Amino acid sequence: MEIKKTAMAGTLESSDIQIMLSQGSNGLEFDLVSDVAKQFGKAIQATITDVLNTYDIHDAKVKVVDKGALDMVVKARAITVVQRALDMADEPDWKVI
Amino acid sequence: MTAVIRPIYLQQSRLKKVWENFLTARGVDNFVPEELAQIEITLGMYDESENLVGTGSIANEVIKYIAVCDKGSDQKGARFNTLITALLNQMAQWGRFHAFVFTKPEYRVSFEHVGFKSLADSPTGVILERGTPNIDDYLANLPQAPQQAQNIASIVMNANPFTKGHRYLVEQAAQANDFVYVFVVNQDASLFTTQERMDLVIAGCADLSNVVVVNGGDYMVSFLSFPSYFIKNPDQVIGYQTTLDARLFKNNIAPALRIDRRYLGSEPQSHTTNIYNETLQKELPPAVDVIIVPRLAADGNQATVSARDVRQAIAQGNQAGWENLVPATTGQFITGHLAQLQARIEKGQQINGN
Repeated sequence: MEIKKTAMAGTLESSDIQIMLSQGSNGLEFDLVSDVAKQFGKAIQATITDVLNTYDIHDAKVKVVDKGALDMVVKARAITVVQRALDMADEPDWKVI
Repeated sequence: MTAVIRPIYLQQSRLKKVWENFLTARGVDNFVPEELAQIEITLGMYDESENLVGTGSIANEVIKYIAVCDKGSDQKGARFNTLITALLNQMAQWGRFHAFVFTKPEYRVSFEHVGFKSLADSPTGVILERGTPNIDDYLANLPQAPQQAQNIASIVMNANPFTKGHRYLVEQAAQANDFVYVFVVNQDASLFTTQERMDLVIAGCADLSNVVVVNGGDYMVSFLSFPSYFIKNPDQVIGYQTTLDARLFKNNIAPALRIDRRYLGSEPQSHTTNIYNETLQKELPPAVDVIIVPRLAADGNQATVSARDVRQAIAQGNQAGWENLVPATTGQFITGHLAQLQARIEKGQQINGN
């Protein structure tokens, strides 16, 4: 699937994560800011990558600011940002959820 | 417990007073009209007793007048993060996903914690950006010099409009270097629009095969437009603006494009441009050599070629006046659009600046 427009989801508040998704042409290009990047950076990227793959997105710029979000929060924000970027925020893909 | 965020309507003098007092108490007390005029929305954060505990404003791509008070908050920095979220969400709703912040050096880390990246710093202020498209995207979209090019020069010009003086400067650079980038300042504050200025520079350099003309994007704007609301001493402002501009070029633009020279026209008339040239000479070497080319004198007289004189001639309808100063390509455009250009001047477009 191709990203139609840049989108953002989540907040910068404690225990949350903010993800910005925009068009890319060079695979999934992550840019991650997190106080716990060392311990959880890979896990956060893996969770977001899973969601993107489910939507068949393989090229995108993914800018992430993590504030210590739990895995299910990461997943929820990732789904939301994808739905917005694909311009289908009002038609959730129930299979993914 | 939680603070609420809502717009502050600065048109109401009572609200504006509270807002100004809050910022002044936190070291921001410069409310000059030029800084305020750009603001599209100001958000205020209020605690449960309706005290203002945070504020930030959006002006195009810039977030400014940010201040937060942590008093009464459970967690240091939480209000700042909430406020920045609200500002970024507002911008996202408007379809803007890229933001700049100009702030004091001591706040740099706070912004880096919410995803901003520092582009350049100076002792009095830093510039950070966040989101997309960013400077990497801008640079990736520019044409690259050929692999074998050894000397790569650059010129930054507003070219309002492109004159024989600009042409002379570009020629000098083209003769002495393998490749030349001409960056045209991307800001619609001039008599000629950005598109018109771009087109005239491209037309005026079309015969120079090793010159490429590119739009300066968000990164080569007039340094005078860098917000300086957080600087108390007006004497420091010009130094901060020019230093930031020079370091942005040196740290980000030049290395990515392998630029090792920057050409400047000498500036006998403008004090501000003189300070700018001095700052570039101080900041850019040794990574980038600065070469100052003396201004071209107009045919048959002592005066130097200046775009300002061209604009004056346009205002007066003095065709011989401008034709003496511009290349044929620019001259044809002016003749063909004279009424339109004069109408802009009549509507109040300033023509005396740089």
